[in-house]
Amino acid sequence: MLAQKILTRNPKAELYYDLVELLTGVTLVGFLWTHMLFVATILLGKNTFNSLSQALDDYYLSYVGIPFIILVFMMHILTAGRRLPTRYQEQQIIWRHAKMLEGADTWVWVFQVITGAAIFALGSIHMWVVISGWPISAMTSAERMQAFWWFYLVLLILGEYHAGFGIYRQFVKWGWFPRKPLGYISKVITAIILTLGLAALWVFLKLGGA
Amino acid sequence: MSNYTTVITDVLVVGAGLSGERAAIEAASQGLDVIILSLVPPRRSHSTAAQGGCQASLGNCAMGKGDSTDVHFSDTVKGSDWGCDQEVARIFVETVPKAIRQMAMWGVPWNRVVAGKKVLPDGREIEDTKDKEGLITARDFGGTAKWRTCYTSDGAGHTMQYAVDSIVIKMGITVHDRTEAISIIHDGETCLGVVARCLKTGELRIYLAKSTIIATGGYGRLYGASTNAIINEGAGMSIALDTGLVPLGNMEAVQFHPTGMVPVWILITEGARGDGGYLLDKNMHRFMPDYEPKKKELASRDVVSRRMIQHIRKGLGVDSPYGPHLWLDIRHLGAKHININLREIANICKNFNGIDPVDSLIPVRPTQHYSMGGVRTNKDGYAYGLKGLFSVGESSCWDLHGFNRLGGNSLAETIVSGWVVGKKVAEYTLGAELNYQYSLVQDFAKKQQERIAGLISGKQGKENVFAIRKEMEQTLMDYVGIFRNGPDLQTAVDRLRELHQRAGRIGLKTNGKWASPELTAALRLPGMVRLALCISYGALTRTESRGSHAREDYPKRDDANWLKRTLAYWKEGSDLPQLQYEPVKITELPPGDRGYGESSASSAEGKK
Amino acid sequence: MSIQRKFSIFRYNPNTPDVKPFMQEYVIEEPQSMTIFTALNKIREEQDPSLMFDFVCRAAICGSCAMVINGKPRLACKTLTTDFSGTITLMPLPVFKLVGDLSVDTGAWFRHLSLKTKAWVHTDKEFDPNAAEERMDNETALLIYEAERCIECGCCIAGCVTANIREDFLGAAGINRVARFMVDPRDERSGNEYFEVIGSDEGAFGCMGLMACDDNCPMQLPLQLQLSFVRRKMLAFGLSK
Repeated sequence: MLAQKILTRNPKAELYYDLVELLTGVTLVGFLWTHMLFVATILLGKNTFNSLSQALDDYYLSYVGIPFIILVFMMHILTAGRRLPTRYQEQQIIWRHAKMLEGADTWVWVFQVITGAAIFALGSIHMWVVISGWPISAMTSAERMQAFWWFYLVLLILGEYHAGFGIYRQFVKWGWFPRKPLGYISKVITAIILTLGLAALWVFLKLGGA
Repeated sequence: MSNYTTVITDVLVVGAGLSGERAAIEAASQGLDVIILSLVPPRRSHSTAAQGGCQASLGNCAMGKGDSTDVHFSDTVKGSDWGCDQEVARIFVETVPKAIRQMAMWGVPWNRVVAGKKVLPDGREIEDTKDKEGLITARDFGGTAKWRTCYTSDGAGHTMQYAVDSIVIKMGITVHDRTEAISIIHDGETCLGVVARCLKTGELRIYLAKSTIIATGGYGRLYGASTNAIINEGAGMSIALDTGLVPLGNMEAVQFHPTGMVPVWILITEGARGDGGYLLDKNMHRFMPDYEPKKKELASRDVVSRRMIQHIRKGLGVDSPYGPHLWLDIRHLGAKHININLREIANICKNFNGIDPVDSLIPVRPTQHYSMGGVRTNKDGYAYGLKGLFSVGESSCWDLHGFNRLGGNSLAETIVSGWVVGKKVAEYTLGAELNYQYSLVQDFAKKQQERIAGLISGKQGKENVFAIRKEMEQTLMDYVGIFRNGPDLQTAVDRLRELHQRAGRIGLKTNGKWASPELTAALRLPGMVRLALCISYGALTRTESRGSHAREDYPKRDDANWLKRTLAYWKEGSDLPQLQYEPVKITELPPGDRGYGESSASSAEGKK
Repeated sequence: MSIQRKFSIFRYNPNTPDVKPFMQEYVIEEPQSMTIFTALNKIREEQDPSLMFDFVCRAAICGSCAMVINGKPRLACKTLTTDFSGTITLMPLPVFKLVGDLSVDTGAWFRHLSLKTKAWVHTDKEFDPNAAEERMDNETALLIYEAERCIECGCCIAGCVTANIREDFLGAAGINRVARFMVDPRDERSGNEYFEVIGSDEGAFGCMGLMACDDNCPMQLPLQLQLSFVRRKMLAFGLSK
């Protein structure tokens, strides 16, 4: 073995990286799904939505939660992103390979990379906008939605897609169950959350128009 | 041109199948430097294709109770139709239980005894007892008095090869794969090594060694329809024969396996019948009990094969574009048994025939399967004719199998002969010196180089290697099959002599450079035709029926005249082998009735 | 009735790098049913004796003949031409060193894998030829055999994105090989020792979970479950020491 490799060897480093990818991923999926459920309270009316926002604010959950999620978000980008090939030839190999194999899971991963990068950009903007317009209320949200409905539509679809297949892929890598039922379950959950999200978006647009 | 890469070692093993690797381990464990040459990576060897199992008289399972090395011995000798060397058979049966346990230690996941009552397909109830639970179990195979065939589901050869190769890797034994030995280097008395051709680059190399072990397997692919892997072309036997000094023993003893699958000739393991499978004819009639009331489908392979052909000749075969065949029926064993214990069969049927044996019949016909003959050695594995040359496994005629090998005795032979002979090789090598004259060594390589140049330039002629090969295969299929007779065998010999002449006039169509596959084939073919001649001429001359050698014109075993082994020599420039004979050693069990089959029974009557 | 079948086959000889890789077309007559094994031999014998490819057992047991057939790594010997319509494209397996045309050197790669994963039973026990074998539960034997069934054909490696871009990745075959020894009670290695062998990006954690191995295994080994089993074991071993 080479001297520099002996000196820097940490046999557990790659385990920790993989574990952090798993834990941050699962946390983000949990957050995103809860987040969508919270947002969907708009379906029950403006007041429910506002009082939930108020409650989270009163108990300081937002002040702990948001920085924590930002940290997890960054860690997830670092650990999941470590797989991304940076050399042109490697990217070419992957692209050729995915086209040749027509393996569904290989394409899922390619899209995972693309959606991940997009979420990095769009998600950051979303967080910046929300935090700078603090606190969250039904009316301010509705205004945002109305002005940038296309932005939120894209982010919603990307986010749910990434989360749905992300959790599926972590189960494939770590879990006890065969892929087919796993894929089915994750697709069903994603569809439910996506429907809630779209419905919420629709209600906000209506609110804004009123 | 005259500078060849030269590799020097203590022990050179040609062939990385089970017996070759097992012998290599034995030699290496004595501290010797060992190199293995192989046509393919070791784990691709034909040994891995053996599905059924390995005979050893452990006597652990219910139906193996009372088994002993003596019973195994008598089964083996009867199976061989008294053609085997009884001293070797004795060494073998005594060693094989130990060898099996050693395999268990090395990682083979042998199936184990599960206690409890079971009902066999024929209705018999048996019980495996608690005290044997977890010990190595066994299944039934043809020609055996007890259930004696140890197995790992249907991958015995695979798991054994992987275990043995794992030890080779652990010990760091060098393997040069994709390397073909094309000539033996010797000084008339002692074998000095081989000239080999690299099948990646086409380079010729010289390997020098104190001892050389031929472990190249059988010659099944001389026949057009064979269960063998396509690399089984008798390469090691033919380079030994080409020395002119080393004889091949009993080449006319060719085994046909009863159940090759029509039309791809892939083997359906004997385990299928051992586990309770039946043979059916076109009327769905189970015919084997009519011929062999005692052993039924589980008489020895030569007998079952002949009975099947006999039955087909009565017009009771099933017609198909590939000729008439019979059915193998394992449906009654049930989906669970088929998909676990006989999974490989299920896969083979699905992949290559599009049928599922759980609910379909399997089309089968006897197919060339095993070479009992080979490089004649003494009981320690020393080849006749050259010092420092040894042979193990199917390529050898150690002569455990005589004129018919029992199912499950070949895998067993590989690890036993590898072990026993490996030890003898080590002993010999530790006391040997490597003395050679380099110019003589180089001459052997030059001779091969000239052969190659001749083939490429086409100056001997323009014969097509593949065309000659097809004709050779067809000749053996048509005239040297399961039932033989004088006129047919004479035709075979005449045609093969002519083919041998033509094989000397091969010219390549391509430039033959690098690892040209055409050149590879062209280098092998003349030797293959010579082996075919040894088989046919030996069969023509042997005027009796014994084991797998069934002469319609001499249907009885003739112990008075033919209790002897054929030794075929090939003198350079000749177009026929010279045949000599040596007596078969009978130490324990005098010739008698096999208890199944036809020829020996009638010869026993003849003696009364 | 036989039809004409067109093959498009990758040609390249690394000994003559001046001749760039190219695809060569062959047309042969196709009987009712034919495997790629039969087809390639027909092409070699009747049209082009220089064409290089590997077959040994031709019965899907030895693992020699894996190649990329119309985009998927498969065993050529058990692939029927009738599974496809139109031209059949044959490429050598990626990842492995190319010997020529469709022939690749899987032997050296897998020997390296065995060395790297120390794929043999590790035990301090001495073999006693006169003792009975150690007992083993039959269920355990079957479990070992389930993983041992791998024939090292290389389809899982060729289909794996990670193996295609990272030379040192051992792939499903390597991880499954370790799983085989982990379930074997005869192997006395500790969790720590297994972790040393495969608890890194070269082994269990290098897998990105794209499951092309699981899709393409001609032996239908349960590779997804074997891989996740090893990953969980590695987590347990890694966190416990």
